[in-house]
Amino acid sequence: MKKILSVFMAFALSVLLNPTAVWAAGEGGAESGVPLWLCIPFAGLLLCIAVMPLVKGEWWEAHQPLVVVLWILVMVIPFALLYGVGSAAETVLECTVNDYLTFIVLLFGLFCVSGNITMEGDFAGSPRINVGLLALGTLLASCIGTTGASMLMVRPVIKMNSWRRRKSHIMIFFIFMVSNMGGCLTPIGDPPLLMGFMRGVPFFWSLHLFPVLIFNMVILLFVFYHLDKRNYRRDIAEGRKPDISKPGTEFRIDGLHNIVFLVMIVAAVILSGVLPGMPAFQDAAGNARGIHIFGEVSLSYPSLIEIALILLAAFLSFKTTDKEVRVKNHFTWGAIKEVAVLFIGIFITMQPALMLLKAVGPNLGITEPYQMFWATGALSSFLDNTPTYLVFLTTAGTLGFTGGISTTLGTLPAKMLSAISCGAVFMGANTYIGNAPNFMVKSISDENGVNMPSFFGYMLWSVAVLIPVFIIDMFVFFM
Amino acid sequence: MQDNKEKYRELANRIYDLDGEVYQCVGSNLGRTFTGSRENTVRNLSVLMYTKPDGHLLRSELALISNMARTIKDKEQRSRLMEKYNQILREIEDLPDVFGKEDILDQERVALNNLVSRRQKISEGDHLVICISRTQGSAGNDIGFELADDLKINYYDVEIFDQVLKRLEAEKGAVNDKESFADFNKYGKRHTDLKTVLREFNRYHGLPKQDAVFFNMSDLICNLARTEDCIIMGRCADAILKNNHIPHVSLFISAPFAVRVQHIMAVRNMNLKQAARFLRKMDRQHRRYYEFYTGEKWGKPENYDLCINSANYGIKETIDVIRRLLDE
Repeated sequence: MKKILSVFMAFALSVLLNPTAVWAAGEGGAESGVPLWLCIPFAGLLLCIAVMPLVKGEWWEAHQPLVVVLWILVMVIPFALLYGVGSAAETVLECTVNDYLTFIVLLFGLFCVSGNITMEGDFAGSPRINVGLLALGTLLASCIGTTGASMLMVRPVIKMNSWRRRKSHIMIFFIFMVSNMGGCLTPIGDPPLLMGFMRGVPFFWSLHLFPVLIFNMVILLFVFYHLDKRNYRRDIAEGRKPDISKPGTEFRIDGLHNIVFLVMIVAAVILSGVLPGMPAFQDAAGNARGIHIFGEVSLSYPSLIEIALILLAAFLSFKTTDKEVRVKNHFTWGAIKEVAVLFIGIFITMQPALMLLKAVGPNLGITEPYQMFWATGALSSFLDNTPTYLVFLTTAGTLGFTGGISTTLGTLPAKMLSAISCGAVFMGANTYIGNAPNFMVKSISDENGVNMPSFFGYMLWSVAVLIPVFIIDMFVFFM
Repeated sequence: MQDNKEKYRELANRIYDLDGEVYQCVGSNLGRTFTGSRENTVRNLSVLMYTKPDGHLLRSELALISNMARTIKDKEQRSRLMEKYNQILREIEDLPDVFGKEDILDQERVALNNLVSRRQKISEGDHLVICISRTQGSAGNDIGFELADDLKINYYDVEIFDQVLKRLEAEKGAVNDKESFADFNKYGKRHTDLKTVLREFNRYHGLPKQDAVFFNMSDLICNLARTEDCIIMGRCADAILKNNHIPHVSLFISAPFAVRVQHIMAVRNMNLKQAARFLRKMDRQHRRYYEFYTGEKWGKPENYDLCINSANYGIKETIDVIRRLLDE
C-alpha cells in the first residue's frame, strides 16, 4: 500500500510543484504549457454535479445547461488567452467532434433502441432473481457493450423490483457490474479496449481477463446477495409483497425485433475500430481520412460511418416499433438529455487535465502492473477512461519490455496489459461520471421511483464495496 | 392532536392519489412510487409526518413523485400535477412539530389493539381477531382451540390453513398439477430436479417457494381478519395484521422447557432425549421463520399484548385469564 500511496503522491507533487513546467502535447503535436489552475473548471463542474442536486435541486435541474456553459467558458477563455484562440478552438473542436460526438451518438442509439424493447411479465424481484439478472447483464456487457447491456436491462430490473422499498442498492450494484466490469472481456465491451484493439491488441486477447471478472463477480454477487437478502427481509417485514395472485408467471417481450438494431449498433462500433486500419481509409501518411473541420481537426470517415449507422438504427427502431412500447417503458428524453448536457461540459473542461496526464504520465515512474492498475483506475474514475487507458498503454509500451503482447505502442507483458485494462474498465464504476452508462442508469432510476444516492453517497458505496475488491484483485492478479 | 392526525391522513391520502395520477399520466408499466396498498401507504406516510414533519425521509419519498411528474409530456397535465405537488409540500411544511410530546402510549399500536378498541369503541366494525403465537409443548394449540370453542369463533391453525390454501388454488383453476402451496413443508429439506425447479420458478414468479407461500398466506390471513371473528395460530399472523393495520389481540403462550418436555413426552410418546431434541429443533425453526418474515424477535414481550406462562395456570385457567382480559 505504501508503494501505491507513493505513486499517487509523486503524481500529485510533480503536478503541484511544476504547474507551469508541465508540457502537453495535443493530438496534432502542438505543445503548450498547461498550468494546473486550468483544471479548476473541471473540478468546479464535478463539484456542481455532486453538490447542486443536494443544495438546490430544482434550480440545478432547470439551469444545468447554463452552468455547464459557464464552466466551459471559464476553461476556454483563459485557455484562449494563454495559447491563442485558434489553439483553444482546435482543442474544443477536437474533443467535441472526435470524442464527444461518437460517444453521445452511441449512447443515443442504444438509449433509443433499448427503450423500444419492453418486458411484460410478473416476475418478482427477489435476491436470487436479482443475482441472476446482474450475472446475466455482466456477461451480456461484453457482447453488446456496457452501455447496451445497461440500457437493455435497467428497465426490467426496475420493474421487477418495483414492489420493493429498498432498491437503490440493486441499481448501485447494477452500475458496478453491468455498466462497468462486464465490459472487460471484448473490445466491444468498453471503449478503452476498443482503442487497445485499434493499437494492435488481438481482438480475443481480452478474454484473458475472464478469471479476473469471474473472481470479482463471485465476490460482488456474494456481497450483493446478502445485502439484498437483508433488505428483502426488511421489505417483507414491513408488509410489502409483490402481486403474485396469479398462479403462473406471464412473460413476454415486446419490440424484440429491435435486437437487430442493437446488433447493427454493435457492428457500427466494431467497424469504427476496424476501418481506420484499412488502406482505403488512410491517407499517404497513414492517418485516417475524413472531413476537414478546423486546423488539424477532422471527422474521420470511419467515425462518420459509425454515426450514420447508429442514427439509422435508432431511426428504424422508432419507425418500426409501436409507440405504446415506449409509453410502457416510461421512455423520456430526460436521461439522455441530462447526460448529453453534463458530458459535453465534462469532455471539454477535462482537456487540460488530460493534457497534464499525457505530459506527466510517462514520468511518474510507474513500472509495475499493480501501479498501472491503480493509476489507470484512479484517473479513470474521474476522467474519460479511454484517453487514460491510452496514456498508460503508451507509457507501458515505452518501458522496453521484450516479451508479451506486441502492439503498435510497443510490447507489453500480459500482466501489465491486464492491469491497465482492468484499471480502466473496472474503476469507471467508482463515480457516477466514471462511465457514461453510470449516469444514464442513475437518471432512469431517479425517474422511476428509485431513490438513488447523491454523487458522494454513491462514492461511499464504491469506497466501501469496490475498493476492497480492487485491493484483493491487486494482490491476486497484479503483484 | 386528533385534528393533526386527521390532517396527516388527509395529506397522505392526497399524496397517494397524486402518485397514482402521475403514474397514470406517464403511462409507464415500470411501477409507481408507492406500490403498497392505499391503507398501508397512507398509514406509513402519516407516521412519517407525525414523527418527522420536516424530516428528509418524507421529502425524499415525495421527490420521487415529482421526478416522475416532471417527465409527463402533456404540459397542462404536468403543470397541474406539479401545482398539486407543491401545494402538498407547502401544507407539509406548515405542519406543527409534535415529535416527543406524547406519553408512553404508542398510538399506532393502540389503534390496532382489539382490547382497547372493544372498550373505547375506536372502530366498531372491526372483528375480534386473536393471534396466538406459542412454543411447542406449551399447550398453545389446546388453549387456542378451546378458547375459540368458548368464544364460538373460528379457529385457524396450520392444517386448516393448508386446506384453505389448497381450496384457493383449486378455485383458481389455472394450475392442474398436484403440487400446491399446501404440500410445502417449510422445515423440510427437498431434493428437486431441474424440471421441477423451472416449473416452480415459473409458478412462483421467480420467488423462493417459501416466500410465495408466505405472501399468499398473508393475503389469506388479512382476508380472514377483515371478514370474521377468529383465532389464528402462529404463521406470523400478529406481524402480518400489524403491517396491514388490522386490529387484533396478540398473545404469546409459553412454558418452561422442562415442563414442555414432559408435555411432549406424554402427548407424542417420546423419551426424554427425543422430546428435548424435538423441542429445541422446533423452537429454532419457529424462531428462524418468525424472524425471517417479520424482522422481529420471536417471543419478545414488547411484540405482544399479553405473554402467558401456561404452566402457571394450566389450560382451563389460561383460557379463563384470556377471557377475563377480553370481557373486561
